[in-house]
Amino acid sequence: MDAKTHTSQALVLLRTAAVVLLALFVLAVLPTALPAQSAAVRIGEIDPLTGKLAKHGTEIHEGIVAAVEEINQRGGILGRPVELAFRDDQSLPETAINQAEDLLYRENVLGLVGGYVDSLVAPVSELAAKHRIPYVASASLQRSLTQGRHNPYFFRVAHLDGIVRPLCGFVTNVLKARSIAILHSATPGSTEFAEEIRACLEAAHLPVTLFEKFRPGSHDFSAFLMKARQAAVDTLICGGFLPDHLMLVRQLKDQRIPVRHYIGPWGVAYGSFIEEMGRDSEGLLGMCAWNPGITRPGTDEQSQAFVERFRARFKKSPNSTTMHGYVSARALLAAIESVATTSTPLTGEAIAAKLRTVDIATPMERLAFDEQGDPKDYHQVIVQIQNGKMVAIYPPERATGKLE
Amino acid sequence: MLLQLIASSFSLGSFYALIALGFSLIFGITRAFNLAHGDLILLSGYLAYALYKGLGAPVLLTLPLCMLALPIVTVVLHRFLRHVREPFELNTLVVTFGLSMVLQNAMLLAFSANFRLLPKADFTMLPPESTPVLNPGQIFLIALSLLATAATHVLLHHTFLGKALRATIQEREAARLAGIPVERMGVVAFALGGTLIGLAGPLYGQSAYLQPFAGPEPTLTAIIITIFAGVGRTRGILLGGWILGFVESAAALVLGSSWREMVAAVLLIALLLLRPEGLLTLRPHRESKA
Repeated sequence: MDAKTHTSQALVLLRTAAVVLLALFVLAVLPTALPAQSAAVRIGEIDPLTGKLAKHGTEIHEGIVAAVEEINQRGGILGRPVELAFRDDQSLPETAINQAEDLLYRENVLGLVGGYVDSLVAPVSELAAKHRIPYVASASLQRSLTQGRHNPYFFRVAHLDGIVRPLCGFVTNVLKARSIAILHSATPGSTEFAEEIRACLEAAHLPVTLFEKFRPGSHDFSAFLMKARQAAVDTLICGGFLPDHLMLVRQLKDQRIPVRHYIGPWGVAYGSFIEEMGRDSEGLLGMCAWNPGITRPGTDEQSQAFVERFRARFKKSPNSTTMHGYVSARALLAAIESVATTSTPLTGEAIAAKLRTVDIATPMERLAFDEQGDPKDYHQVIVQIQNGKMVAIYPPERATGKLE
Repeated sequence: MLLQLIASSFSLGSFYALIALGFSLIFGITRAFNLAHGDLILLSGYLAYALYKGLGAPVLLTLPLCMLALPIVTVVLHRFLRHVREPFELNTLVVTFGLSMVLQNAMLLAFSANFRLLPKADFTMLPPESTPVLNPGQIFLIALSLLATAATHVLLHHTFLGKALRATIQEREAARLAGIPVERMGVVAFALGGTLIGLAGPLYGQSAYLQPFAGPEPTLTAIIITIFAGVGRTRGILLGGWILGFVESAAALVLGSSWREMVAAVLLIALLLLRPEGLLTLRPHRESKA
């Protein structure tokens, strides 16, 4: 091969490379150079849509979609449509971080919403703070996320007090238990819950005779139940999730452990739990912040309208988790709308500042955040499964039935 | 309480053995490291659930139906894995990992992410206030596990087909030279493994729960029990299951529920160090010095 041919081949190669680079540059610049896509308001969502938490992640996602579609049907935010960019964290914290980065860097979202369990919410909350983008978590309880190290960009629609206080009051005032067992999942929120409920019950001089944790997803509780039988436990509080209750209640019935009251704060007050357990679910106690028919006083019509819209859209009934997703998205959208009505640019800082002044009425709660980003008004109710239905039995002002 | 502990351990161990039998058989004969094993168990469980919910079939009836259906799936899997090149074990591991993800998402689409539970067989012969050491569901599980292990053992050790299968497990090339059609043995192994997976599915839906992404756990259980037992040791599978069940239950009883997996992991590491060939596998005699 002579020098001339070699030079011409090199030139062809250089030209090709230049064309490819130019094309890549145009492709990269084009989206920002073009006018904004009808100036849509983009918000991001990260939820476990696959993996072990997919059931509840999907429920939260549907609640968020319901809130976004609701605002778009009203004409969007000052005429600008709201777009939801959602990502699946596959129930894995490392994936949650990657997906949140994708939403923040590539999708340029104005705020984040969603999240189920603290192990998935916590890393996203830190990333959101780093990018100065508000994050309204749908299901998070761990105290350290809001207290101690204050994150001004993190907000959530639930907190632990709203579960521990009514439950402690119920066990103390209504059940008057003689021997209590507390079994909890080894997750941050569940562990904190178990420690706080134990402290509250012991302060009320109620005997907690058995206190244990288990790995999430355990299938066999027979050893724990042997100890419960020996300790003559009459009230069992299980801080596990829906699948844990399926296993524990079945084994409780199989082994004929004479527990009078079984309480599952998370996972029992679900239609799907009742459907799978059948008659074995009768008399079990659960907790929820909302459910169709169990709504904040004075919001019956609003609640019913939501249920009807949701059923028409998703062909199924919403539940408490769905409502947490809906409420969190409503809060973020309300703050964005509030900023948009002023001449202030839509920035993460401005939206986070507005979130601190948000005050909206939802079927679940009247939502306003305190200085830490926790909801000021969040109270779950105790429900009992009676004839295949959830009946609110505590606190008295929300009760629609009595303990059977 | 000791009696109760032993009874629960037997029940849990029998459940583990049922999960592991199909995996051990397929791996032993074909060297296919099937990471989709747990997902196939769930598929069988979902099939039983669909038959129970959709057609109102009793759970007991779903057992034979699943035992007939799953071999079709595993034989198709075998045909697919025949195209995998060397190193076979490693490549089947990668391929079945991909298959596992495909199955998980297919089950998510077909059955949603909801947790499903199959009802336990209805035994009403017990007086309402009695507290037997073993409940009827546990007796049923242990009996089925014993039956499946015994049937597999008899097939492998007392039939001509079994001898051919064992010869393939022990020395594939020698078996081929002796005229055993090792490729056909692979089909037989996948079909038998599929039958055992078909049996395990509905029982998994009763003793655990069905969820599209729950497959890796039974796969891990099957791998652990196979290591416990030694490859191709059907009786060792049952013994390994029982030992693991007992260790886990005892750890949960004495140390607390959160210790069961930790103690089981320590036991597995100890076994790998002390008896890497498995519980019931005889150690090869050391050659005497000349």
